[in-house]
Amino acid sequence: METPSRTDSSPSECEQGEVAATEVTGRDMEDVDVLEEDTEKEAGEEVVKDEEAGKRAAGELATQRKLLAIEELVLTERNYLRHLRLCSVTIRSNLQKVQPPLANLDTMFLHIQEVMDVSERLLTLLDRGQPSNPGFLSLLCDAFLSLRTDMEAAYREYLAGYGNVTALENSYKQKEAVWQEVVKVVKASAPEVNASSPTFFLVMPVQRIARYPLLLQTIQKHTDPRDPAYLALEDVARIAVDMNCKINEYKRFREVADKYKKTETLSIRDKINRLNGHSIAKKTARLGQFLKHETGIVPKVIDEEFDALAGFFCVLERGITDLHENVENFLGHLQAFLACRPEERDLDLGSDRGVVSYREITAALKQWIYPTFERRVRTLVHRPLCSLREMLAGPRNLIRKRLDKLLDYEALGEKSGLSYEEQAVAGAYRTINALLVAELPQFNGTALQLLWGILGAFSCLQRDLAADTEQLFASYTHELPHSLLEPSAFWEWASAAVCEEAKRLDAIFQNVQEELNAPIVQPLSPSSQRRLQVLMERHSPEKIYQLTRHVVGSRELDLTLQRGELVALVSEMDTRGDRRRWLVDAGGPRGYVPSSKLVRYRQVTKEVPPSPHFTTAVGREAIRRHSYSPESHPFVTMAMPCFQVFAGYDFTARSHHEVTLRSGEPVKVLEPHDKRGNRDWSLVEVRGRRGYVPSNYLAVLPSVVAPPTAPFC
Amino acid sequence: MKKSTEADTAMSKAAVKISADLLSNPLCEQDQAFLDSMTALDTAMRRMDSFNQEKVNQIQKTVIDPLKKYSSVFPSLNMAVKRREQTLQDYKRLQSKVEKYEEKEKTGPNMVKLHQAREELRPVKDDFEAKNKQLLEEMPKFYNSRIDYFQPSFEALIRAQVVYFTEMHKIFSELTEQIDQANLTDEQRERENEAKLNELRALSIVADD
Repeated sequence: METPSRTDSSPSECEQGEVAATEVTGRDMEDVDVLEEDTEKEAGEEVVKDEEAGKRAAGELATQRKLLAIEELVLTERNYLRHLRLCSVTIRSNLQKVQPPLANLDTMFLHIQEVMDVSERLLTLLDRGQPSNPGFLSLLCDAFLSLRTDMEAAYREYLAGYGNVTALENSYKQKEAVWQEVVKVVKASAPEVNASSPTFFLVMPVQRIARYPLLLQTIQKHTDPRDPAYLALEDVARIAVDMNCKINEYKRFREVADKYKKTETLSIRDKINRLNGHSIAKKTARLGQFLKHETGIVPKVIDEEFDALAGFFCVLERGITDLHENVENFLGHLQAFLACRPEERDLDLGSDRGVVSYREITAALKQWIYPTFERRVRTLVHRPLCSLREMLAGPRNLIRKRLDKLLDYEALGEKSGLSYEEQAVAGAYRTINALLVAELPQFNGTALQLLWGILGAFSCLQRDLAADTEQLFASYTHELPHSLLEPSAFWEWASAAVCEEAKRLDAIFQNVQEELNAPIVQPLSPSSQRRLQVLMERHSPEKIYQLTRHVVGSRELDLTLQRGELVALVSEMDTRGDRRRWLVDAGGPRGYVPSSKLVRYRQVTKEVPPSPHFTTAVGREAIRRHSYSPESHPFVTMAMPCFQVFAGYDFTARSHHEVTLRSGEPVKVLEPHDKRGNRDWSLVEVRGRRGYVPSNYLAVLPSVVAPPTAPFC
Repeated sequence: MKKSTEADTAMSKAAVKISADLLSNPLCEQDQAFLDSMTALDTAMRRMDSFNQEKVNQIQKTVIDPLKKYSSVFPSLNMAVKRREQTLQDYKRLQSKVEKYEEKEKTGPNMVKLHQAREELRPVKDDFEAKNKQLLEEMPKFYNSRIDYFQPSFEALIRAQVVYFTEMHKIFSELTEQIDQANLTDEQRERENEAKLNELRALSIVADD
């Protein structure tokens, strides 16, 4: 345990940490005891035992995973610090030696020291315990909490300044010779790492701070909620996410502040600021003319100026309403987009770099980048629009009222000497008119400015979203193998890789496919046997076919049959000559089935095989044996005492050369062929008599089977 | 995954609609500056949409199609497993038949029947074992292949998004330069908006009656 040598971390902090550690371990000892007691109680109950065992197994798995996640955090932190040290010490000093001297080299390493400090302190705190120790989790949470403010401060500065780092590197890249030197230095200083630029190392803090929430959440996922450190862990994970939000906000703030130093140029912005009531009135008058020309009527209303104003207002109103709806639409889709979480489906794809990067990126996007964007859109775009839209109601109603009053007023005509009520009406009209004429211009102008501002903000927000995401991605591109390829090359590679993988998948899978399409090797079910009998009565054996797939009849006279059913072929084409539809007999119903689904059925010879007397070629081949009928090796020589030959079937002798057999009789084979050498016949001795019998009627059985005791007659 | 891309496309289209509607509004007719900025906004949105479309297409090719293909393998695998089950059943059935015959009296015909039953059993047993072995080989291979299979998909997914967001950044930076007020923080913007809204509220015509 190395004692920190810095003077800024107070000694009391170290002690606190130590005390906390021992307290934690002491508490955990008690927990372990309690745990053991519980386990014993459970062991006593038989019924619950299996369930508990299952839970315990799952619990053990979770504990293991938790341990792995914790260890990963500690290990990666160590590696990270090591790399940072390498960069800031070795690479920096080597870069300083480069001739001619590199401009502004120090700005590259400006904030890296603070980041390294925080990391070192974290590791020191973590080194006070062992990951496998149950109290380690509390230790971890405490360490994060205590370092939280410093961590935020350090990373905040670093990330705000990171833009300068990349800009500086780009300026080095401008000069080919200089850049070569730099790359050489980097590669020489860190031969075991596949780095090709200083930013490989300098981007690590950017990655690291984003990864903390994910690492913590992984640990949290595998932690039992009853664990004493669970609440603290939840807190810390949340804090990590908050930290990221704040750091990003600070970065933006700094960018804005920096830009003020640049000189302003005359642009549309300034034009907006030049808008005032006078120009608006002028423009609206023009609009009034325009509307007049369009509609082609001479307005009955005396007040053109008013018409123009009202016209502008209407147009503005429509613009605002449309915009408002569209923005709401947009937000709706954004929410739907965020609601889909394909990345959470854990395909258990392990720790391939691409997969992990993708998961981390998407998690980061969903957890703080997009929500921040949404929040800002709502605040800066949606809400003002809502308010603005509401405010449209007032003027709109007034305009309508004015129109009503005007009609009333006109109806009064050119009367002189109006009554009191009529005077009131006239007065009302004039008041409203005056009010509107006075204030509408201002309303229109301000509303337009507001609208413009909102749109500008929207564009700016989109830009920020893109900037944040780009930075996030940039921190990962180093890790992906193909990120350095040019776009077209990359997509070529990608599609080629996808094709290859698809082919490989096919190859792996081909066997199974073939297997599926293989003919069915099954003994017949009783119903099939009956079907076979029925069919055999009416058709010759070579016409028996079997269905390889289910068929569902769609047309008239089509049959619906199951896979494996036996049918007899009647005709190899249908009435229209279509050879793909065959007419078959299904043991009763007749109809059409597609010929592609039929395969010749080779039958079981349960019935008596033909004796070699019938040497018609058709007969012999048509009824080929199914693979499991006894056909092989009937030729047993007397020299194999472990086998005994029996008659497999009955056989009636038809000539005096032959001998009658009864199924099951033991026979003695004298010669496995006839006088002409024909192996179809064998000379046997049975019941004392000799003669020829068909060889395939003989069965060879192992003589573990005791010879039959009962005599046969 | 598919829903995600659909929502993404919808979002982009909604953004385009915003600008298109604004552009078609007659406000543009009479104010050149407004027209300019609305045109710029519209152009930006349309370009974004086309990039988005490109991104979605690429993702379709390199991620969604492979995903579909991979999942289409599952039904076939299931079938194969079922077949194996069936074969197992047959095997068991024949096995018990053989055992039954073995227990019977050792008479001639029984011997023959026993022998035949054994012969019947053998191919079925072989078939089952073949199927079993094959599945035992194939399935782990299939499972293990998933990592390599999906690796390009993930990279493509990331890369497509990188391209998209880089473009988005560029386009919107330009646009913001053009139409946005001097760079303000969020609070400043909010305050400005509030100020304008208050101005409007101060007008008597706006008071709700």
